[in-house]
Amino acid sequence: MRWWQIRKRDADLERELRSDLELEEEEQRERGLSPEHARDAARRAFGNPTLIKEQTREAWGWTTLERSLQDLHYALRQLRRSPGFALAAILTLALGIGASTAIFSVADAVLLRPLPYPDPQRIMRVWEQAPDGHRMNLAQPNFEDFRAQNHSFVSLAEYGYGFESVTGGGEPVRVTVAAVSSDFFKSLGVEPFLGRAFAADEMRPHGAPAILVSYGYWQQNLGSAKDLSEFHLAISGTDYSVVGVMPDGFDFPSGTSAWIPSELDPDTSSRTAHNWRGIGRIRDGMTIAQARADLGTIAGRLKTQYGKEVDLDNASVVPLADAMVGDVRTALLVLFGAVGLLLLIACANVAGLLIARTSARAKELAVRAALGAGRARLARQFLAESFVLSLAAGVVGVLFAGLAIRMFPAILPADLPRQQGIAMNLPVLLFALAVTAAVALSLGLFTTWRAGGADLRDALNAGAHHHSGSGAVQRLRGVLVAGEIAVTLVVLVSAGLLGRSFMRLVSTSPGFRSGHLITMQFSLPPDMSAPDSGAGQSQPAAIARQASLMDDLIARLRALPAAENAGLVGALPVAGGDNLADGDFLILNGIKPPANFDDWDVIAHNPLHVGHALYCVASRGYFGTLEVPLIRGRFFGDQDNLNSINVALISETLARQRWPNQDPIGQIIDFGNMDGILKPLTIVGIVGDIRARGLDLPPAGVIYVDYRQRGMNANSTPTILMRTTAPEDEIVPAARAIFHNIAPDAPVTFSTFAAEMGGWLAERRFLLLLVAAFAVAALALVSVGLYGVIAFFVARRTQEIGIRMAIGAQRGDVLRLVLGEGARLAAFGVAIGIVASLAITRLLSSLLFGIGTTDPFTYAAVAVLLSLIALAASYIPARRAMRVDPVTALRYE
Amino acid sequence: MAKQTQQGAAVLQGTLDMLILRTLLYGPAHGHQIGKHIQRTTNDFLQMQHGSLYPALHRLERRGWVVSKWETAPDRNREFKYYRLTEKGRKQLLVEESQWKQMAEAVARVMWPAAEES
Repeated sequence: MRWWQIRKRDADLERELRSDLELEEEEQRERGLSPEHARDAARRAFGNPTLIKEQTREAWGWTTLERSLQDLHYALRQLRRSPGFALAAILTLALGIGASTAIFSVADAVLLRPLPYPDPQRIMRVWEQAPDGHRMNLAQPNFEDFRAQNHSFVSLAEYGYGFESVTGGGEPVRVTVAAVSSDFFKSLGVEPFLGRAFAADEMRPHGAPAILVSYGYWQQNLGSAKDLSEFHLAISGTDYSVVGVMPDGFDFPSGTSAWIPSELDPDTSSRTAHNWRGIGRIRDGMTIAQARADLGTIAGRLKTQYGKEVDLDNASVVPLADAMVGDVRTALLVLFGAVGLLLLIACANVAGLLIARTSARAKELAVRAALGAGRARLARQFLAESFVLSLAAGVVGVLFAGLAIRMFPAILPADLPRQQGIAMNLPVLLFALAVTAAVALSLGLFTTWRAGGADLRDALNAGAHHHSGSGAVQRLRGVLVAGEIAVTLVVLVSAGLLGRSFMRLVSTSPGFRSGHLITMQFSLPPDMSAPDSGAGQSQPAAIARQASLMDDLIARLRALPAAENAGLVGALPVAGGDNLADGDFLILNGIKPPANFDDWDVIAHNPLHVGHALYCVASRGYFGTLEVPLIRGRFFGDQDNLNSINVALISETLARQRWPNQDPIGQIIDFGNMDGILKPLTIVGIVGDIRARGLDLPPAGVIYVDYRQRGMNANSTPTILMRTTAPEDEIVPAARAIFHNIAPDAPVTFSTFAAEMGGWLAERRFLLLLVAAFAVAALALVSVGLYGVIAFFVARRTQEIGIRMAIGAQRGDVLRLVLGEGARLAAFGVAIGIVASLAITRLLSSLLFGIGTTDPFTYAAVAVLLSLIALAASYIPARRAMRVDPVTALRYE
Repeated sequence: MAKQTQQGAAVLQGTLDMLILRTLLYGPAHGHQIGKHIQRTTNDFLQMQHGSLYPALHRLERRGWVVSKWETAPDRNREFKYYRLTEKGRKQLLVEESQWKQMAEAVARVMWPAAEES
């Protein structure tokens, strides 16, 4: 039945009843009654026409729509009558729905949405796996064997990337350039949108250098030109022809501006040089487990065949989407959990409000029930009310979420993968809808259950009193609020643990004074290639050229009036510590230094002659600038030059680890696998530890070499650190001028160490910020909820309080009574919350630093804070209770 | 909810349906006539409640046992909603009649067992 037919049917019924009623009236008149009496008699005989209509409509059978419309209409009327309640409930729910929708939008973009490639579930990251289970990038020969021998991949490719200085098409820029092997684009299933992919003779050693650029690079630096034939880009002195442009939105590896064939520059034949990341597309219908087993078999074969020449014995295959998100997953799950708890608290709060309202409306409900409104009918109305409330809250919540999503770019950690996909889109809206529906349903069912439980007679009797809250209602609200307190405590403890970890992390000394440090990260000018890049220069000559440039730069920078000190390092420690390479070195001690890398490998087979450390190129000024102490021996000095013996400094940790009972000074080592120079190094000093790889990791063993003797190797990110008390914007223009003057082709990025650390901490800070925001919101909600319950408690017992005061109770007694109620609920909630937290915060353990998940200080602080807030929330109604005038209260009835 | 009311008054309602159908056997009639007829025939023993009459009529119509049409009454110069028995309604009347008989006999056997034996 359509609604217009309903209307017609209504009119028809109306007409039928009227005509029959008129007939009755006529008949009465014909019996001789006066017109007025006749009408009255007819009405009497006929009964209540409205009621008849109602009952007849029932006989038609209500359509769901009609009934719902009526219920909705009624619900709207009810809510309009109490705008305060409606507003409070809607805002509370909107907070919960909005927050969870916003977090979902992040989770959706980062974790859930498939990668923007065809058949993304078939794209895998591939690693070698060591016997201890840890993953390693691929070594060139191993990759070739994987590719040739596997049966499970359609294509298998390797890639690597790093910052390069790119010249051509405008100013030189420092961008990420990826070297990719032939099947890289095939594995991802992406083709250039303009131009062509690499041709076969561009993907071989000494082929014609060709380069593909990103859409963004093409727009910014090549002026979106349709004809690419004119464009050439220079990287490290090699001239590449631009052959194609990748489509807009193609961003793999993340942030890459240009791709070159990896085959151009043949890699070493070492089976332990893990230089390449692996990516591949598995065959249709092949499972990950099968692919893993397939590569694992090959790895096992390699182990058998090459023994000590390889360090893999298995392979690891993980879907690209999973590999990309990595540790972000835990953080997002924690956020999702926190926001879920917040939603739960919001719902509990609104449930509390609804109960209060239901009991305030108890008389009305009882009357309606007595008049024959069935339980189902009342239930439907409660559902309708929750539905209207939740829907309004859903709309407001989506608006909140939209605002939050707009703010995300400012607060999201910059290295969060795939964040550009975060938007208010259909899946996010559907999620909001689902949450709204769930909220509506649970609130509706809850209130229905409550209303169903109410005894009609009780309600009617209670209705005689001014305040109708029964003890059961008070108890139920109490339980709800205690539950809220418990949940809030979980969120607070999580925020507290994360906050304490963060504080600990920030206050952890990196091993040097980190304030007032300006960082200048730059790339070597193209004509100043690294000694191991094989660009045809003799090594000493290349190093000498580099060193003279750096000397010049450092001297000029140091000469700035505001500069206290300046030094050079191969990678910014701590914040950029991931750029430091680590590897095995040889301890020669009387053994003849290796003449070539085959010799090197032979010596490396004896564990007595092998150590493991980070490799770091530095200048003398580096230690002075950072104020890293010299423990023993000496720093680099002027006597260390290209022609003298090559020297090394080691960190305290390395000295302790590798030479526990010996004096490392004077030991001769070889770390030539790092820079391709087999000249041995003599250890001349031990310096203080720094947390080179990050504040959350213990200091690692480091070997420092002098840039004047070894030069910057290809993997390094040369950085000059300057200690100055002058503000950054005063130094930077002067420093930029010096760079421009001395090395116009070297792109440079200025920053401060603090800012770089900020980037490193961004992810933790983001997580902490959001969890803390949720905790504050939860705290606000719970205090409002508790306030409501206690106010209700006071209102209900006004008379009792009046009597107590009349018979001599002091205001202090009343205060104690009311605060006692608040304290009781708080204690109950806190106790449950602590138990729940102990179980739940275990999920956080991987995100904590320096404290355990059961950190007693955090628990105690949170419990005290929550109790104080509970008491404060109870104090306001308590004060009102103290002001109760016994006479008024007794008359209150 | 509607179900509940129906169940609560099942016996009466069933009877009312039968009475209406039986009344319409004489020919088409409007609501007022039907009510009056039942009341008169039972010597006012059954007081016709309009509150149950109209719902019953509409229910019968919905089940297809009667159809309605607005027609001018022969003695009054006005239109009334006339209900007419359908073929389906006629069959239903037979069914209800026999059910009622069985019911009445069954009740009688319980209430007056001696009379039965004699």
